[in-house]
Order: sequence, then C-alpha cells, then structure tokens
Amino acid sequence: MTPKDIDSERLSAIIDKHKAERWSLIPLLQEIQEAFGYIPPESIETIAYALNIFPVEIQGVITFYAGFSLLPKGKYVLKVCRGTACHVKGGRSILRLIKSELGLEEGETGEDYQFTLETTACLGACALAPTMMINRSYFGKLSPPKVTAILAHHSKEKE
Amino acid sequence: MENITLFINGKGVSCPTGSSLLEAAELNGIKIPRLCYHPELKPLGGCRLCLVEDEKTGKILASCVMPASPNMSILTDTPRINRHRRNIVRLMMAEHPESCIVCNKGNRCQLRQIAAQLGLGQTGLYHMPNYKPIEQANPFIIRDLTKCVLCGKCIRADHELVQTGAIDYNFRGFKSRPLTLHDLPLEQSNCTFCGTCVSICPTGALAPKNLTHAGTPERESDSVCGFCGVGCSLTLGVIGKQIVETNPSHLPETLNGATLCVRGHFAHDFLNAEQRLTQPLMRAEDKLAPVSWNEAVNHVASRLLEIKKTFGPQSIGFLGSSKCTNEENYLFQKIARTVLETNNVDNGGYLSGRSCLDLIDSRTGGGWRVSPLSNLEKAESIVVIGADPGNSAPVVGYYIRRTAKKGIPMIVVDPRRTDLVPFSTVWLRILPERDLQLINCLAALLWKRFGHDTGFIDRFTENFTKYSEGLSSFNHQRLCVEAGVDMISLERVVELLKGKKIAFVIGHGILQQRNAARAADAILNLMLMTGSLGTDTGGLYLLARENNQAGALDMGSAPDLLPGRENLGDSRQRQRFERAWEVRLSPDQGLNAIRMITEAEKGTLKALYIMGENPLRSLPQPERVLKALQNLEFLVVQDILKTETSTVAHVVLPGASFSEKAGSYTNMEGRIQCVEPVVSPPLEARPDWMILDMVSEKMGRFTRYDSLEKIRAEIVRHIPEYQGLSNGKKTFWINNTSKKGLFQPDGQGEPISFFPVAFAEDRPHDDNYPFTAILGSTRFHLGSGTRTSHSKRIGNFGKNGHVEISPSDGLELNLVNGDRIRIQSRHGSIERELILEKGLAQGLVLAPIGFEENDAMKLLPLTPFEDRTSRGLKTCQVRIDKIQ
Repeated sequence: MTPKDIDSERLSAIIDKHKAERWSLIPLLQEIQEAFGYIPPESIETIAYALNIFPVEIQGVITFYAGFSLLPKGKYVLKVCRGTACHVKGGRSILRLIKSELGLEEGETGEDYQFTLETTACLGACALAPTMMINRSYFGKLSPPKVTAILAHHSKEKE
Repeated sequence: MENITLFINGKGVSCPTGSSLLEAAELNGIKIPRLCYHPELKPLGGCRLCLVEDEKTGKILASCVMPASPNMSILTDTPRINRHRRNIVRLMMAEHPESCIVCNKGNRCQLRQIAAQLGLGQTGLYHMPNYKPIEQANPFIIRDLTKCVLCGKCIRADHELVQTGAIDYNFRGFKSRPLTLHDLPLEQSNCTFCGTCVSICPTGALAPKNLTHAGTPERESDSVCGFCGVGCSLTLGVIGKQIVETNPSHLPETLNGATLCVRGHFAHDFLNAEQRLTQPLMRAEDKLAPVSWNEAVNHVASRLLEIKKTFGPQSIGFLGSSKCTNEENYLFQKIARTVLETNNVDNGGYLSGRSCLDLIDSRTGGGWRVSPLSNLEKAESIVVIGADPGNSAPVVGYYIRRTAKKGIPMIVVDPRRTDLVPFSTVWLRILPERDLQLINCLAALLWKRFGHDTGFIDRFTENFTKYSEGLSSFNHQRLCVEAGVDMISLERVVELLKGKKIAFVIGHGILQQRNAARAADAILNLMLMTGSLGTDTGGLYLLARENNQAGALDMGSAPDLLPGRENLGDSRQRQRFERAWEVRLSPDQGLNAIRMITEAEKGTLKALYIMGENPLRSLPQPERVLKALQNLEFLVVQDILKTETSTVAHVVLPGASFSEKAGSYTNMEGRIQCVEPVVSPPLEARPDWMILDMVSEKMGRFTRYDSLEKIRAEIVRHIPEYQGLSNGKKTFWINNTSKKGLFQPDGQGEPISFFPVAFAEDRPHDDNYPFTAILGSTRFHLGSGTRTSHSKRIGNFGKNGHVEISPSDGLELNLVNGDRIRIQSRHGSIERELILEKGLAQGLVLAPIGFEENDAMKLLPLTPFEDRTSRGLKTCQVRIDKIQ
C-alpha cells in the first residue's frame, strides 16, 4: 500500500466508533493499522484528543507492541522465520536470498512500497521449515527456486 | 481512620488502614531501600528494591505496592532479601556507564547510595552500558538516558503531578526509555521545562544545565521562590557565595510538593548576573560613580528633607515593591507617612488589579483571603476565567489540571486557547473583555434553572431579591451574542455547574481589564448565589503576579490604605496610627504608581524614591515615563539589578534579593512564609530593610530598628491579620478578621450583601485599529521580565516573543508564519515575528509581555485605572502591517 494523504474521514470514523468504549485504545489502533497499513504518526494527537489521554502515552503503546508500526509498510509484508527448525533447514540462506532479491535489509520497506522484509522468531509451522509468511499466507518447504518464484509472483510487474 | 497493627522485624507497629508495607515501615522509622517509590506518586513496584519477606509464608513482596494487613509479620532485612537486592543493583550497575567521577549527581545519586548501603563495589558482571546520545541543546535540562534506570519517576511526575504529558516509556526491554512525542528534542516537544523530572530523577540521567558551575552544591538551604504570587518552597544549592541550583524543598506540606515551574527551577541564575548592583552609586557630572554608604545615605536624607521643605510633602513620592518583604514594605510606607508626611506611597502591584481587590475585600471584609490551593483539589467544579496559569502561575495550573483529570467539571472562559483547554469540560471562547456579560448570563440562567443555594443565601447574605430581579430582566440571547458564546455551550455549562460549589480561578484577564471591578462584582454575586464563597469545595483564587503582592497591600504600601488594609479615610483607624506613630496623617489619599509618573511629567512631583520597581519597563508608554523621571529634581532607586530606571537615577542603592535577606512574604493563598538568608548580598549590597532603616535614621524622625524582630513586633501590634508573625513559626496563615457571618466558625455575624447587577459599557469601535491585542505573559518571563531577562538560561531560550494571530486573519492580510510585522496602537508600535495560531479567534492579536525590554507596553496609554478613560492593561486596539 503506497502511503498517500491520510483519509481523515476514515480516520475519524474509526475513532468515533471506539471512543466511547472503555479500554478502546488497542482495538482502535488495530483498526487504524488495518485500514492504513500502519499508524500514521500525525494521527496520534487526534486519537489522544478523542480519548482524553496524553499523545505520548499512545506512542508508548504503539512502540511497545511489535504488531504496531509507525512507518508505512509495503503491500506485501514478508515475515521470514528465524526459528531453530527453519535455521537447521537452511532458513539463513533463504533470508539471504530474499534480501538480495528484494534489495532490502530486515525491517526495511522498498521505495515502491511493494515489499516489507521482516523476520520473526518462530512462525509455529516447524514441520514446513523453512517457512515464511506474506501478509496472512504461509509458504513452507522453501527452496531458492521456490522463493524466486513466489517473489516474482508478488512483484509489481505481475500485477 | 482506623489503625492496623502488624509486625515488622519482630516489632509490633501500627499504621493507618490502606498504608503500604513500605509506608508502614517508614512511619515506624524502618528504612527500606527503593528507587522508584516517591511519596507523591502512585506506587509502581518497578525497581523491586523494596522487597520484603513475609515471615509466615516465606513469600517475597514488593513493599511499596503491598498493602499492610493486620497481624502480618514482615522481615525487611534478611540475607535472602539482600541477596535479591544486591543482584538487582548489580544488574543496574552493569548497565550503567562508568561516568560517576564527572556526574553532577555525585553523592546524591540514589543508585550509588543504595549500592554503598548494600556493600557493592564490583558487580562481577560483564559491563554492558546501554549507550544513548546525550541531549543538551536546550538551556535547561541535560538528558543522558544512558544513566536512566527506568524507575519511571520522571514519567509519573509528568503525568500525575504536572500533567503535561511530555514524555512516556517507549519501546520495551533493552530499548525501553522515556521519549517525547515523535522523539523530538525537549525544546520542540510540549515540555514546559518545569524541571520537576530533574529534581525527582534518582540518578544523573536528568540534570540541570549549569552554565557556570559543575558538581554538587556544597550546601543546601530552604527558601521561598521570589517570582510569582504562588510562593513555592525551594531548596537552594550553594557553591561558595553563589546559588547554583534550585530544587523543590523537601519540607512536608508545602504548596508545590515536588513540582516547580521553569522560572522557579531555572531562572534563579539571574542572582549571579553581572548586572547586580554591588555598591552605592551617586550621580556626579552625568555619570553614576561609586560612593560610600554613608555618603549615599546622607545625600538621600538631606535631599529628601530639602525638597519636602521647599515644595511640601506632596512633592515626594514613594514607589515600593510587591517583591520586597512585608517588613520592608511596612518600613517603606512608614517612612513616607511619618518622616516625609505624604500618602504618595504605592507599589508595583497597583498594575495587577487593585480595583478588583478593593472591591472583593470591602464586600467580604477580607474573609476570602485564606484560600489554600490544596482546596482546589477538593473542588466540586472549577471555572477558570481570564487566567492562563500555565504561563502566569504554573503551579496553580498543575492543581487545576490534576482536579480536571479526576473528572471534575472544569470550565475555561478565555478568548485564547490556553494550555488548560485540552483538560476542560467546556471551553467558552468569549470575546475579549466580555466576561461581565458572560457571568451575568450564566447567573441569570442558573437562577432560571434553580441553580441557587437557598440555604446559603438565607443564612449569610442580604439583598438577594433585588439582585434576582435584575437577573430575571436579562435577555440571555443578547448577552450570549455580546459575549461571543453560543447558547448550547452555555446551557451545557449551566447543567454542569447546577447544584455544585464553584471554585473560581481569576487571572489578569479580569484583574487588569477595563470592566475589572464590575466583573469582580458579578463573580462575587454568582459565588454568593451558588454558595461557593468561603467553602472548601468552592472558593475564590486570585492569581497574584508577584511574590508579595498581597503582603505589600497588607503593610499599607498604597496611597489609600493604612497597614492592615485599613482605609485611610476612616478617621478611627487614622487616629489609631497617629497615636502609634506620633504624627499627623493626612486623610487625603496620595498618588498611585501611574499618577506619580504623570505628576512628575507635569512637574508637581519633585522627588521619587523607588524600591525594587522598574517603571521604565513595567509601565505603559516608556518614553513618557523616561521624560517624567528625567523631569524629577531627585530620583533614588534601590534595587538589586542595574535596570532601565536605575541608570537615570541620581542615587542608586544596592539592595538584596529574597535569597540574601530575612523577611516574610504573603502569597496568593494568604499563606505567610518567613525566609532566612541563604547567602550574603554581593559585595556592599545590603538587605533593603537595613537601607531603609539607615535612611530614616539620617532623616531623624524615629530611632533605628536595627533588627527585623523589632519591625515584626510593630507589625504584630498594628495588624491583627499578622499575629502569627510573633510566634517564630516559618509558615502560617493570615488571621481572619472579617466580621461577616460566612467567615465565622459559628456562622454568626454580618450578612454579605448582593450588589445589583451591573452592565458593561461598550467601547466605540475604531476602524483604524481593527484588531484587539491581548497582552499575555509567558512562562519564561515574570511580569515585565526585569529579573528573568537577566537569567542566562532564559535569555538563551525565550528570545522570540512571537505574536499570534488566527490563520484566517493571516490569509486576509497575506501573512505567513515567520513574517515580521508592525503592531501599531494609538500610543505606539512594536515589531515582532508572527505565528498563525489555530486556537485564536479572528480579530485578535496575542502579544507576549516581558520580551525585548517589555516593549509591548508601548501599545498602552499611561492612564490610571480609576480614570474614566482607562482601558485597562490587558487589551488595546491595534493595526497590523507587514514589514517588507
């Protein structure tokens, strides 16, 4: 998802939906993240005003959880497993290959906002090692040719 | 509250129900080590150093969060616990940088203290400091988060005490640290630099930026802040003869607790400014040259007597200071009234709402005056009107925000979006100086909706019927339109306030405005109608700009008041003082601060004795003031700093600051606080009361006092409100002498009268000056900024003095942020940089005072308040032009 001007109407609709609820901050942030792909930093103060808490407290919550991001992410978020089983099955080379294919380091997002590369401690699908996820889909028993094919399938040109 | 008993270290102890184990131990003299606990903050249970062992179950508990329960048996110092504590501290030390030798916190570092208590030297662990960049771009605070132990005290103080929300924990685990919003440097965040976090930080992670000294102060002494009328308790750190550090004092039950504001915390470096006056000066051939005290005092005495003889007592004026002590103010007015036989005595506090004070004092008999700020936290509702405490009296702002955060209705009535607005339940954005219309409308609506307190009205007041008839006659809609407020918001306010006591916080927006007295009348009526006056859950809080504004008036440093705020026109009181002072007192009131200047301009005032006041900076139309002062035959200036005014004086006498002399100050709450000198005055400078004592002796009217105690004894004899001054206490409250039933313990006494409703006079609109400028204070400068501008820290920071207008006005005038503009009134003009501010209504200009020699005063006319043409000191009509 390319970051564009934030749809402020959509943002206030999400805030309005949650602001009357008690303990509404995390569901609210999740919904914003879902809608925009990340939590736009400039929305923090609007949220804070609606919920009557300090903006910096919201930032504290966002940075605490790995699931929230203040930076815009690519259309496809790759989560490459770095768990023990995947490591044994060559997860390190898979990661190295993806890095060079995409030209991204861990935690980076491409300039065209197509891909974001992340690693994770374990995806819990060790039988399929080495594994990764793209958005919500699993890809298992990865090999270099398979990775190249998957990446090509998700690339801009293919769309 | 009930007590419970338990056993700590085998000893039976008791504590109130609800205490934590740590508090219970503390109460019984048992010290438990801790880092994250602070008595004013909610317990966190984060540092785990306060671990104790439950003897019965063997469980290990964090004592700061564990409530004490009956018959518990607790051990605070067992080998097992100490092993845990040592491991925690070892881990902290392993992460801590090895910069102790150069760390300003020195032996005050609590991590170091605890390590020493636990007998830890080497950690025996791999040293792994968590380096983060040092931030020291701002002139106040150095942040070295490498030394942070994540106790969260700074964050909790920020959220719980000062309620600013500048920082919070961000990230987690090893990366965890306190950050500002968007990780901006402090000076770009909403940090107010109150410094509360600096004083509360247990390590050297947060430190004050000292420009001249490094290291720990040699000694510390308690004092009272010399800036605004709140009068916070301070601890001053001293190296050699200089004050190098300021912290909130550790005394119990101070009004500010662990908080301070940027002025109190960081601006006291003005005390060491090069511009301090250090020896008496006398004008010889157009230059001020140093002379001996003897020569200076002789000259002052003989010249004043000479002028009195030639031109009469009315040709001499005494302009005193609301920053000097009670004792000095008493002496000052006594010299004026007895030695020079003139009532021409006033103080700078005249500019901060004399007319309002007089009115409220006379209607209540002064009974309102004891109004502890701690009651604000018990308020049922708060109305902040014409006040921006976040800038003018920040500690009052903290009280209001804390109360509002608890869900108590808080209404802000202000044309500006002050920093209280985000905390408010409703913000009534009125047009400038339409407070009277708004209060009238509010009162009328409350009366219509049965929001009055019949019991209170019947018991303590009179003439309600006439007032209520006036209320019924109002046209709400019209008043609402005049005030510039919409009816829906106002109805909401009425619903919120109905049936509640109201605490009114009133600032200079009311005190200095044209309709000041009438607005105060209306507020008082509304307070009586709702039963809010004289109660703990309501009450009246008038912000005072300077530390002893209240005391200066109490001491009779005013042209129409005798000590004890007794009216000069009251012959019984006059005779009382005539007998005591063995002198004839004229019943005619003297000249006030502004009229002294206008009379000097005309040439009828020949001599002026100015103590601790800088009229060339604080009064309107400085060029007129300068001419008037130059017109004088003789001008004496007694001050601590070389000021605009002292440079044109004939004689300059160097006085002492609040930290260099003993005396007492009366704050806005009615609390009288005595201070002792922390350091001696620089070089030949002397405490002001001593100087006055010398001058009066030379004039030969009364014998020297020679000691503060003698002056105090006289004050106690003449001013019943100040009885407490005789018992040697450091802090006490003024005695209530009001005869009004409301302020008597048994409720028996005179009723307080409602005044008939008053209407506002509108001023004609002038198309040549379409904008209304509001002159507001900023938190970096106090009043006209004479002292704060000599603070190097403040000077480095608050130089901009931007004016603000609304973006829509900016669009119309084709102005953008950063443009230089000229603001012109009928009386003068100033040039400033511009900021477009969304919170401001169209047609308004906000100009901060205190900057650039306080040149904003050029916009105002030099007219005394009581004059019918007076426009007050808060607003004026202006025009804006862009400077190309």
